[in-house]
Amino acid sequence: MREYKVVVLGSGGVGKSALTVKFVSGTFMEKYDPTIEDFYRKEIEVDSAPSVLEILDTAGTEQFASMRDLYIKNGQGFVIVYSITSLQTFQDIKTMKEQIQRVKGIDDIPMILVGNKADLDHQREVPSSEGASLSLAWGCPFTETSAKVTQNVNEVFIEIVREMNTSPVKEKKGCCVIV
Amino acid sequence: MDDFTHYSSKSFYLVLSAEAGCCQPECTSNLPKSMPAEEVMPVIQSNLDYMEEDKPLIPGVTVRAATADKLVHICIESFSKEGDLIEDTEYPNVMYLMHAWFISSEDLAETFIDLYQNCHETIECTKDVCDHLPSDAECEIQIYKAKICYAVRYWITHFPVHFDLDNRLKTVVKRLGSLLLSEGNTSFKELIDLSKVPSYDWMRNMSVRSSAMRHNRKVSLVFNHLEPLELAEHLTFLEYKAFRRIYFTDFKNYAITASLKDNAKLERSIALFNGLSQWIQCMVLSKTTPQQRADVIVKFVNVAKKLRILQNFNTLMSVVGGLTHSALARLSKTNACIPSETQKTLMEFTELLSSSNNFSNYRKVFNQCTHFKIPILGVHLKDLILLHTAVPDKIEGKLINFRKMAQLSQTLRELTKLQKESIPVCANMDLVNTLRLSLDLHYTEDEIYELSLAREPRNSLSSPSTPTKPVVFADWLAGVSPPDPNTINKHVYDMVEAVFKNYDHDRDGFISHAEFEAIAGNFPFIDSFSVLDADQANCHALRNSFKHDFHETTYFKPTFCIHCTGLLWGLIKQGWKCKDCGINAHKHCKDLVVMECRSKQHAGCNRRTDSVSNGPGHQDLTYSTKTDYGQMNGEGEFYDEHNTLYTRLLKTEEARDKLKEENEKLRKKLIAKDEKIKLLKSQMGSIRNNTLTYILEQMDSLKSQRHTEV
Repeated sequence: MREYKVVVLGSGGVGKSALTVKFVSGTFMEKYDPTIEDFYRKEIEVDSAPSVLEILDTAGTEQFASMRDLYIKNGQGFVIVYSITSLQTFQDIKTMKEQIQRVKGIDDIPMILVGNKADLDHQREVPSSEGASLSLAWGCPFTETSAKVTQNVNEVFIEIVREMNTSPVKEKKGCCVIV
Repeated sequence: MDDFTHYSSKSFYLVLSAEAGCCQPECTSNLPKSMPAEEVMPVIQSNLDYMEEDKPLIPGVTVRAATADKLVHICIESFSKEGDLIEDTEYPNVMYLMHAWFISSEDLAETFIDLYQNCHETIECTKDVCDHLPSDAECEIQIYKAKICYAVRYWITHFPVHFDLDNRLKTVVKRLGSLLLSEGNTSFKELIDLSKVPSYDWMRNMSVRSSAMRHNRKVSLVFNHLEPLELAEHLTFLEYKAFRRIYFTDFKNYAITASLKDNAKLERSIALFNGLSQWIQCMVLSKTTPQQRADVIVKFVNVAKKLRILQNFNTLMSVVGGLTHSALARLSKTNACIPSETQKTLMEFTELLSSSNNFSNYRKVFNQCTHFKIPILGVHLKDLILLHTAVPDKIEGKLINFRKMAQLSQTLRELTKLQKESIPVCANMDLVNTLRLSLDLHYTEDEIYELSLAREPRNSLSSPSTPTKPVVFADWLAGVSPPDPNTINKHVYDMVEAVFKNYDHDRDGFISHAEFEAIAGNFPFIDSFSVLDADQANCHALRNSFKHDFHETTYFKPTFCIHCTGLLWGLIKQGWKCKDCGINAHKHCKDLVVMECRSKQHAGCNRRTDSVSNGPGHQDLTYSTKTDYGQMNGEGEFYDEHNTLYTRLLKTEEARDKLKEENEKLRKKLIAKDEKIKLLKSQMGSIRNNTLTYILEQMDSLKSQRHTEV
């Protein structure tokens, strides 16, 4: 079974951990204990291939500059999240791709752009078209989600696995991370 | 709470019609109906005030959820009538540590008073004839009252910080005290004595100089001469000071809002973390050759080793994060110069701190460590946020989710532990002050990365073609703002003091140029520290008189704005310089500068702005003094040593003028001597010539002699 390391990036308060929790808690969990080793690990089937995802949620550590580099180094695929209710969070992630490229030292990065809090459409500050055009510039998929009403949550993670599967440098990268 | 009806001290399954006394707003993160943990919860009766935990997470914490009153009652019942904890339950610890998550300390204390006052109705005395007098040791009511006092005593002795920092809480507890006295319960009154609560002044203020720590340990202030152990210990000292100030509510607010707004103490700690990472990068990048850069890296890896021994994981994370940052990792020439041993060590540390498997390596090691240890702030903040997102604060609308409190308490206990511990390091405050200023520098990631590109340009074949200058740079770290000018002022002041104290041995107000240069090496890319006094109070009235002749200027070294003390950004035309007095400012700050324009040549007779010239290098160390001595700055720092410094500055000025004269004389002498030297040189030249000719002649004559002999 192939293992994928997915980093969830974005400013504070965009709902990264809500997305993560919603995704990983699909499996039965008696008690939430975020300190255990397997907490962020989940098995899913993508295109009939069973896969294990390890989510590296950066929530709470957004402000720690050098920690983010370590996260990115560890990750293979990147879920970049902003909140559709805050233009600032959208501005914040605009340079994210460059930063990942810098750390990884490669151009082609498997990533997906996610506008979260889609259930709060009446507070929307970032139109869908803005997100779509940024994703076009990045050459990555884009989706709007709602962790609150469980909209598109699993889809995000399935999509990022697909991205990692199609990424040409995946094998090489996989080795680098394991070693 | 008045509806609080009937309690037998043994049974808890009673119905309360009243809502809990406290009401914290509903948890913002709404949980889906599919949340398994919540779904399987047995709901027997919707108006229960208590739910039991099937498998307690922490010994003695058997409550799953309850109303606030009920929780307080359980706390009281955790004590025996002798005042000991029943079966070593952890419940009171969890309760007192976590109460601020759902009830204010003041309200908690009020609940104790309510229970005390109402216990005649709620507690049934089983004795046949009883007057419920304080002297009656068998009366159930009196026993309950005693337990209340034991519970409060436990609170005071185990969490004194709550009492020192919260005057309203103190008032309520004092009220309980007078209530006890009015009933003649003098022995109970002694239990809740607040007079022995130690002072937590250090927590209230951002920084207070502690006289106890002023050991005069002899250290060098110069990075190159610092031993790794010394550096590690002093970094740990700084970390400890910043970390232990973060209070419970700071963590709570961060977990709930995920923002650093109005969270100065946490922000300060994070700024220290990032500052150190950046300082390391700058120290490495300030060196011109790969070998020199590698040497700095080796030194910091050695510092990391010491930090590991000191069990300071937070600073270790910051150092390792800085060393493995992309701005340094890409320097292939430098990395080639690093010994393999060092590289291996760094790899091991990266492994230890890796986010893989939910930081399992770090968590294992951290849990094994005993005694003094500093956790990685970020990792535990992440746990808090996740728990808060995943689990609601309340169950059934009104019951406080105490399982969540128990879970949070495990993390928060670790995070607040340092408040009770002392540091096993004695620090030299002068070095601490120097370091503090070194770490206060604020660059953006991009500025450092560009510097890295300048040191070792990218190899176009092997590296991706990421643009170096982003069109829009969104500072991801926008939440961390640079410290306010007052803080920087203070740090500069402390640092200058420290430098003079350590290097000005004859106390004449001078340090040698070489020493200054060496210390300046701690502050890569800065050639002047200029923090000038801005009389904020009068700034509006006086603004018009602060006219400067500003011109757009390109700086070749990082320079700082005189007004906001921030860096003047950019590659060219970074800021505006006054042609007359030479101060620098941002474009948007230049109109706000509250400083008189004093032309450079008159600076000598200026009493406020003072510059110490460092010889022909034209490197100015400029700083000013605060004019208002009585005034304390915003953070409660005292400038009590100000006068001394001020007089010393005046002395410095005089001495400098004298020196200038002397310099002039000496220069004239020098020129005269130079001429003499020239003369002597030409004489020597002619002597040498003569000698040579003489020797050659002699040799010639000898040769001719030999010829004739042959």
